[in-house]
Amino acid sequence: MIALCAVLLLAAPADESKYPAPLKEFLAAKNKDGSPVLGDADRKALAALPDHTRDLLGAAAESVILGSAAHLKILLSLDLPPAALELVAQDNCILCHSDPGNQKGKTLFATDPPARKSNPLLNLKEFVSDVHFRRGLSCSGCHGGKPSDEMMTKDVYARWPKEDVRHSDRSWIPGFCANCHADSNFMRGFNPTLPTDQLAKYQTSQHGILLLQEKDSRAAQCVSCHGVHGIRNSRSRLSSVHVQRIPDTCGACHSDAKRMEGFRLADGTPLPTNQVAQYKESVHGKALLVKGDLGAPTCTGCHRSHAAMPPDCHSQYAKDNQQCAATAVSFRNALDTLVAGRAEITAPLERLAERGLDVEPLSRTASDLDEALVQTRSKVHTFDLSSFQAAAQPGNDAIAKGRELIAEERREARFRTRGLLAAIGFMSLIAAGIALKLREIGKRRIT
Amino acid sequence: MSAPTGGTHPEAKGLYPWLDRRYGITPLIEFLKHKEVPIGSHSMIWYYLGGITLFFFTIQLVSGVLLLAYYQAGESTSYESIRFITTKVPFGWLVRSMHCWSAHLMILSLVTHMLSTMVLKAYRPPRELTWITGFLLFAFALGFGFSGYLLPWNELAFFATAVGTDSMKAVPGIGEWLLQVMRGGTDVSINTLYRFFALHVVVLPLLTVGIVAFHLIFIQRQGMAAPMAHDKPGRGMKFFPDFALRDLLLWLVCLIALASLAVFLPYGPGIPGMEWELGKKANPLAPAYPGIKPEWYFLWVYQLLKEFPAHLFGMEGSQAAIALVSVLFAVWALVPWLDRDARSNRASPAFTDLAMAALVFLAYLTLKAWDIGGGEGPLPDVRAVARACAYWGLVVAAATVVFRFAMGSARFFDFTAAAALQIVLHGFLGVSYLAAGAIAVLLLAVSLGVRMLRSRNAARATVGGAPR
Repeated sequence: MIALCAVLLLAAPADESKYPAPLKEFLAAKNKDGSPVLGDADRKALAALPDHTRDLLGAAAESVILGSAAHLKILLSLDLPPAALELVAQDNCILCHSDPGNQKGKTLFATDPPARKSNPLLNLKEFVSDVHFRRGLSCSGCHGGKPSDEMMTKDVYARWPKEDVRHSDRSWIPGFCANCHADSNFMRGFNPTLPTDQLAKYQTSQHGILLLQEKDSRAAQCVSCHGVHGIRNSRSRLSSVHVQRIPDTCGACHSDAKRMEGFRLADGTPLPTNQVAQYKESVHGKALLVKGDLGAPTCTGCHRSHAAMPPDCHSQYAKDNQQCAATAVSFRNALDTLVAGRAEITAPLERLAERGLDVEPLSRTASDLDEALVQTRSKVHTFDLSSFQAAAQPGNDAIAKGRELIAEERREARFRTRGLLAAIGFMSLIAAGIALKLREIGKRRIT
Repeated sequence: MSAPTGGTHPEAKGLYPWLDRRYGITPLIEFLKHKEVPIGSHSMIWYYLGGITLFFFTIQLVSGVLLLAYYQAGESTSYESIRFITTKVPFGWLVRSMHCWSAHLMILSLVTHMLSTMVLKAYRPPRELTWITGFLLFAFALGFGFSGYLLPWNELAFFATAVGTDSMKAVPGIGEWLLQVMRGGTDVSINTLYRFFALHVVVLPLLTVGIVAFHLIFIQRQGMAAPMAHDKPGRGMKFFPDFALRDLLLWLVCLIALASLAVFLPYGPGIPGMEWELGKKANPLAPAYPGIKPEWYFLWVYQLLKEFPAHLFGMEGSQAAIALVSVLFAVWALVPWLDRDARSNRASPAFTDLAMAALVFLAYLTLKAWDIGGGEGPLPDVRAVARACAYWGLVVAAATVVFRFAMGSARFFDFTAAAALQIVLHGFLGVSYLAAGAIAVLLLAVSLGVRMLRSRNAARATVGGAPR
């Protein structure tokens, strides 16, 4: 009986006459063509809300922060659960910045930014799905100020670098995120399983070294991979760091030849940009992306995530599979041979050039070796030993040719030095003869 | 047919008598046998500098002809042919390296020769024209350096020539026209290279060989300048074989030094303005080569142009700088007529001092052009450069004073003091280079004026007090 009463109570349509007055006004609002702004679906969604949620929306409308029926329509279209909608209704920041009657494109959170021609980072749907928002951390949590503020205050942005600096120098971002994420006591209150050593790892990563030590703001930092206003749990398939989206997330930068221009490996060769394309064709890529095997290796499997570095030793990751281990060792050895060969043939280049020797053939050979190194490295992500070895062969040929050229140039240098010494010896003999003749003339004059 | 001019018997047989009868060789040999080099109290080394310069010039001619066998002037051949010479032609690298090294060493020995001539007053009558021909040879040597620089058609040469020829615009009235004549158009192009090539391998060598001939004839006809009357007279040294063998010995030493430099430093010592690595081919569309500096012997002019403001006394700053350089060159050329004491065979320490002051003046500007002490950045700290160079400038000034004490001609320091004062005011006290120069010249004028008045009064007193 009680259950039946409850069902009847819930199924019963809400009495619109009991809605807060501003909401009733919104319900009566008409478009220019005379049709109501809030359609049946909106009325239904509003009616389905608990009274408390409606009261909060009413209070927001009363204070004009919820500015119009159209604005309410946008909020209802988000299809949020009542608890989330209550968060929105009490947050003046999001209320004000989602009102198209109040904000322009640059500062408007829209449900469809491209249609509104507004800032793509200010996506309202993404924002209300953000893991931080869902856990109660809203705008003021990062931007400063308070959700109850009715106007922008000086507190907003006070904790960030000035606008002209923060866009050109991104090195403040990791430390900013770490204000919470490196605080284990704080984080325990939200997710006790989430690690808090991301910043420490990031500082040792190639990205971290580039950004924090070399102040190269092209380097990836927190928001490059995780996003800004739509950060989701990494287990969500919509998350940019979900295991199946990691290749594309990494590839957003690493497959962009223009963006990667100038970045070089430790041996000076250019960083390749075809890793993701090759990975997708590899056995690992197909396992992950086609078969949906979430255990298959992806970029972070070898290179790690927050501590992203070139892999130290493939065998470390493939130690449980002998075939994989052998392949990995072959890769490593072949690459080490090419890198060592490159160092060997480029080391004497400058010295030989200073001696005036013809180093152009040697320079060309070094360039051929560079090219071979790039090609060979790019084949690592095919995980195919034969194509890898085929790519490495021109490099080995270049090393052999380089050695021959160096030996040849050294022979030429020795020939020049010996030739000079012979010439000096010959000229010294003539000089000694002249000196003796002068001495003899001097003696003859005296006698 | 004219009478035989030789001294051999008309019936004597053999090549020598045959030649002697026709060309009168015997008197020439007799002349050489009796020719002597005067010896003073100063070192004999100064007498060899002309010979060393001639030796380097000969190396230039020989190596130049060898290079000419492979060099091909042209937009698509100049750079390529030089690369071919240095990489493929047997000993081509050596020939090019010796050509470049001996060019620099020739100018160095030529400048030293000129300074020694100034200090020893060897320009005094009747050798004024020997000085003038020497001065012309100096100007031609600079012309050789400037025209030869462009011939490899590499980046550095291209932009350095663009900067160098641009200064021609400063010549009043005909600047733009002169620029176009030099460049063969409004910009440096392959037409400029053709002109410079013709100048470098035809015009200048012909003129130089001609003037060298006159210079040597003058020296042979008049003999080497005897020491000044006040100098301790010494016995002469036989030109042949004593002096000639010593000359030859020194040439051998120079050849050994030249070959060693060419083998071990084939692209020069790596000092800006003294390097000739081929580098990249000239690309007129490429942005200007950073840190362009001319050859070291033009650096002082380059720096002087930088020291002048945009406008001065209603003239363009560069015009004023070029005018000053022209005046300095004119004064230098006219020294045999300006030095009246030397003309009367009296000691003229003022002109020795002028030569030393010129050396200090040139050294300071050259050091500044090298940005000595300016740090590693792309834009050197101008104040730090002025200060660091001031230390070295004063070291050069002190060295000239020590040298003059050693030469026993240390009686007049006004010019050197003025040059040192300008360095101190500019380098240590931060006064602008021109203002410091103006102050130094003003004080120099006062000092010279006082000296003149004193010598006039002394002359009057001598005339007035002389017994009748």
